[in-house]
Amino acid sequence: MRISRHPRISRRAAAAAAAIAVLLPLSACGEGGDGGGSTDASGKIEGEITFQTWNLKANFKSYFEGVVDGFEKKYPGTKVNWVDQPGEGYADKISADAAAGTLPDVVNVSPDLVAPLAKAGLALDLDKAAGKYEKEYLPGAWKSHQIPGMEGTYAFPWYLNTGPLFYNKRLFKDAGLDADKPPKTYDELFDAALQLSKKSKGKTATLANIPTIEDFGRYGVPLMDKEGTKFTFNGPKGVELLKKYKELYDAKALDGQALNATPESTGKKFLTEAVAMNPGSALDLGKFKKEAPSLYKNIGITPQITNTGKDNMYVMGVMVNTRTKQTPAAVAFAHYVTDAAHQMSFAKKVAIFPSTEGSLDDPYFTKEDGTDDTRVRIAAAKSVKTAVNYTPVLFSEQMKIELRNSVGKALQGKESPEEALDNAVNNCDRLLQQS
Amino acid sequence: MKSSSAVTAPRTAATASRAVTDGPRKRIRRQLPSSPWLFAAPGLLIVGIFILYPFVSTLINSFTDKRTLIPGEFVGLDNFRELLHDDMFWIGLRNSTLYILGVVPALVLLPLLLAMLVQKHIPGITFFRSAFYTPVVASIVVVGLIWVWMLDERGLVNAVLEAVGVGSVGFLSDQWLLLLSAMTVTVWKGLGYYMIIYLAALANVPRELHEAAAVDGAGAVRRFLTVTVPAVRSTMVLVAALSSVAAFKVFSEVYLMAGPNGGPAGEDTTLVMLVQRVGTGLTGRVGYASAISVVVFVVTVALMLLVLRADRKEDA
Amino acid sequence: MSTVTETRETEQATRKTEGRTGKSGARKRGRITDENGRRMPVWEIVLRYLLLLAVLALMIGPFLWQLSTSLKGPHENIFSSPPEFLPGSPTLHNYERVADTIPVWDYALNSLKVAAANVVTNCVGATLAGYALARLRYRGRRAATIVFILAMLVPVEGIIIAQFTTMRELGLNNTLIGVLLPGCISALNVLLMRNAFLNLPYEIEEAAYVDGANVWQRFLRIALPAVKGTLAVVAIFAFMGAWDDFLWPLIVLSDPDRFTLTIGLNYLHGTFANDERLVAAGTVIAVLPLIVLFGCLQRYFFRGVGEGAVKG
Repeated sequence: MRISRHPRISRRAAAAAAAIAVLLPLSACGEGGDGGGSTDASGKIEGEITFQTWNLKANFKSYFEGVVDGFEKKYPGTKVNWVDQPGEGYADKISADAAAGTLPDVVNVSPDLVAPLAKAGLALDLDKAAGKYEKEYLPGAWKSHQIPGMEGTYAFPWYLNTGPLFYNKRLFKDAGLDADKPPKTYDELFDAALQLSKKSKGKTATLANIPTIEDFGRYGVPLMDKEGTKFTFNGPKGVELLKKYKELYDAKALDGQALNATPESTGKKFLTEAVAMNPGSALDLGKFKKEAPSLYKNIGITPQITNTGKDNMYVMGVMVNTRTKQTPAAVAFAHYVTDAAHQMSFAKKVAIFPSTEGSLDDPYFTKEDGTDDTRVRIAAAKSVKTAVNYTPVLFSEQMKIELRNSVGKALQGKESPEEALDNAVNNCDRLLQQS
Repeated sequence: MKSSSAVTAPRTAATASRAVTDGPRKRIRRQLPSSPWLFAAPGLLIVGIFILYPFVSTLINSFTDKRTLIPGEFVGLDNFRELLHDDMFWIGLRNSTLYILGVVPALVLLPLLLAMLVQKHIPGITFFRSAFYTPVVASIVVVGLIWVWMLDERGLVNAVLEAVGVGSVGFLSDQWLLLLSAMTVTVWKGLGYYMIIYLAALANVPRELHEAAAVDGAGAVRRFLTVTVPAVRSTMVLVAALSSVAAFKVFSEVYLMAGPNGGPAGEDTTLVMLVQRVGTGLTGRVGYASAISVVVFVVTVALMLLVLRADRKEDA
Repeated sequence: MSTVTETRETEQATRKTEGRTGKSGARKRGRITDENGRRMPVWEIVLRYLLLLAVLALMIGPFLWQLSTSLKGPHENIFSSPPEFLPGSPTLHNYERVADTIPVWDYALNSLKVAAANVVTNCVGATLAGYALARLRYRGRRAATIVFILAMLVPVEGIIIAQFTTMRELGLNNTLIGVLLPGCISALNVLLMRNAFLNLPYEIEEAAYVDGANVWQRFLRIALPAVKGTLAVVAIFAFMGAWDDFLWPLIVLSDPDRFTLTIGLNYLHGTFANDERLVAAGTVIAVLPLIVLFGCLQRYFFRGVGEGAVKG
């Protein structure tokens, strides 16, 4: 929100700075100007860099301190400052830093965060700077940080995240469904959901979330044209999905509070057995065991519902700031933290999956040991091999809200599904052109 | 600070502006010529650099199509024209206006009754006064978390409602109940603040008026209407001004309870929430968000002037 | 609003009475009177206490419920209906977990630094500016007043990025000073102080002026001691504002060592969103210092209110 190129205003700011310096003792720790480094990563790996992660400190402090130590030992003369930001407000934080030229050298991002940064010329093109590392990663993962309409790849793939769908076997049985044959496709899901709500007289909902862009993707709706210039989820297939959801909503097979649900609130609903199915991760099993023993006895685990045969996954990436003064060290560190060995050791700490070639064949992801955790992990690792990040890279936070609100209107009956999706697509297209 | 608590830490313009006219007496006037500005300088500097200068750049931005990472070009009144056709803007305007209608009458009346309750000096009254002020002291984020937990489907309020047989109410899922819940929180948090203002005003009501009315045989209700209300009327105007300006700028309560999305289908979005949603993030439309900010600013100034005018008539 | 100075004395008298009866005076005298010295009938006293207790439950209840939730152990059902108001086996375990997860004391120290500095800057800056606006005569006084009024009406949520950019130009991003500066002399506080000075009788200062006291002496020795109450109000507002602020420190600070408590507590919400006990413990940590501070200062605070700090 600024006009720094305006010389008059800069001068005024400088005068203000001088005035303040007189009034207050300064302990400024300003970083250098915007003058950038180079895209050449072949020089000597040295100097001080800053690495920013996204809400990982609370649980993985010692892991990251170990990674930083290892890097500094491997490359004497380097120093890595690790900073972690809270989950909430991460996009605000990055955009303020990006706008002001204070983005750290190496930044943990997701594809939708990379896209605007790359367009603004702030993300280093790794095809050019680090193309030699491409073969170390799963091809799909490497591509996930490419942006339609732009050449290049703008972040190293880091960890992948996917999870199974949990379901409540008792509720399935009560409704006369075969608890050992949970639905696999959307049609099966809709049938089961309608039966569940009918048998329970509307007391038991099957789903607690309204359809998101990933649901449209898994349903087989084409989301965007190839060039990345316009959205297409208002086609017949998209309308069909939304109509079906409307039917579920009216039959109370989709929870009445779904329109305003958060991941926490849906998790609680599943925990209290008010909802029959909920997506989750391997971490959740321990929680069920502790907090809801009766649910845990009846827990069923099944792959995500999909019509395309491919699950959805989320991809995390690590990008390098083009303005870094230490390009070689920044690229080296971004690679170091995402290489096979480190991804593997990180995966063993938490239920995520490495994006490096061959890592998923590790016995850790293939060999049963009889525990629930392992069972979930192996199933998920298998699906992650073919999984897709359905969310288009260009689908911004504002567009997600557009879709969410349009879906909400359709479910409430304020707009027809066709109308609602047309509006959503129009608004998203407009946002796309303006971005 | 940038406390986003809207109604509860009101920006008291009215408190100050009245006395602009009855300036200092002339006898205190010969002093070091530089000293007045020296006294005011730190305040003017801070407010100028960190509030007004950013606001002026916001004003300039509202005529551009600037985005977070892309410098904008001058687009004239395009942003304001777009506002007229933006459904979300009208929803925001509706909700911010509804907020005034819902919150202001409650905040004008309830704290007055509360002030009358704690006015009498009975033992322990200082404790009650302090206790009633506690919600004002607590941060809005904490207050939000507390009430989300209270009004949760399985929170305290619903547990009580279920225990007495009413059944669970979806305070946090229905669009209107959500707005109502947020208003309740705003009122709850603001009661103590305005109670104090009324308490100060009640101390100024001459007791003879009450006695005369009592002699006339007026009942409590009648005395309230014929003695108390007229005596504190100008304070009621002040409270109405403060609370309506704050209500129009409401952000935190609704954001915390309805979520960043603004409730079901975004129907609970307020104008300031829209500013935040449209203008922040890496793909934020800074220019357009600035235009909404400008509208909020203009309406707030208008509200202020309106009330000040009513107040001036009162004094006359 | 317009009768402030005229009723000054009545009010002071009232306050004195209040001070006496508010404590134990009333009980000693064995009867309860209203502010006019009239005896109150018993039924009215009972009714008043019943109402007071009802309001008390409404105002304090939610905080106590939060406290109770934070003290409940991992095996207690916090969702039961009818609700259980008291923890079965109270434990500080949740607080320990909060401290294990985030360096809560370091963050609290940062918050304390910013809040304390904010109190000092606001008290000094707002008092000086308020005095200038109320008492000194010079060209542009009205314009200066309008500057502060306008500043108060600016919706801060809309200008936060512009503020950050300014801070960056000054090289103060990622410092606690950067957190402090934008609110360090708030327009509201300036106007509160201005109002307090306006309500002082001129005669005292005039006398000092005649005795040859210069403007600093008049300010420090005469005007300032008379507005102590309002100063307490400003101090509390300043402390609350800095302690409670979330979005601005989040934007300005990058280095976790410098985080303030509100940002730190946000980790809890993100990491343990499902554990109400832990979130409750976090909120108690955030709110308790404020309640304690207010408890200590409330005497001055209510006196400040009496001086017309928050009224017209």
